[in-house]
Amino acid sequence: MASPEPSAAGAGAGGESSSQAAAVEPIRMPTAEEIKGQDIWNNCAVRSVVSGVMGGGLGVLMGLFFGALDNPIMAEEMTARQQIVYTAKQMGRRSISNAKTFAVMGLIFSAAECVVEKARAKHDTTNTAVAGCVTGGALAVKGGPKATCIGCAGFAAFSVAIEKFFDRHT
Amino acid sequence: MAAKGGASNFEKEQMFGMAEKEMEYRVDLFNRLTQTCFEKCIEKRYKEAELNMGENSCIDRCVSKYWQVSLLIPFLFADSFYAYSIA
Repeated sequence: MASPEPSAAGAGAGGESSSQAAAVEPIRMPTAEEIKGQDIWNNCAVRSVVSGVMGGGLGVLMGLFFGALDNPIMAEEMTARQQIVYTAKQMGRRSISNAKTFAVMGLIFSAAECVVEKARAKHDTTNTAVAGCVTGGALAVKGGPKATCIGCAGFAAFSVAIEKFFDRHT
Repeated sequence: MAAKGGASNFEKEQMFGMAEKEMEYRVDLFNRLTQTCFEKCIEKRYKEAELNMGENSCIDRCVSKYWQVSLLIPFLFADSFYAYSIA
């Protein structure tokens, strides 16, 4: 039903504008593949998995960096090669544990934000705040109800601050 | 439609007029739908070129509701018109 009107409107606009200036292009409706490609990113599962993977990558990098810095090296016993091996193992262990934490954090945050935004049908900072609260609460749930509340509030404030920081540049 | 074999000019003109009215109605419906859902769902301050997820789901709901209403009202109107004409 909708296909005759937009193409007619686009052709009409194109005919008009091409007579005036060749720089303006006619309006082109997106193809089915373009719509599907954009729709993949609207799926909550895909989005949260990709966020989780990115969080895992970030965790690996952070673990490598901080694992290399944090070294109680017993310099008397080990040779240089043994020191390097020990440091490498420590970096690996730390990066894997960091990767898991950050991956879970990214997954929960992205999934919560996606679900809340789809339900509210609005793009707001409220979505970020609620998602941050859910993430902080989920990560701190082992410490009891008080730790959950503090984690919720803290992570919500942090994520809203980060969102506003990135939003100012747009 | 039963006297299709005759192909009278008047009937052809009548059908053409009806088709034209129908086309106008459809185009008007589409334009109103677009304008209503655009004003309702899309933020006025454009931060990025693509629709984000909130706008997408808002547009889905808006179009679905508008379409349902536009299908429902002619039925109600026809019913009340019929009831009024025989009462």
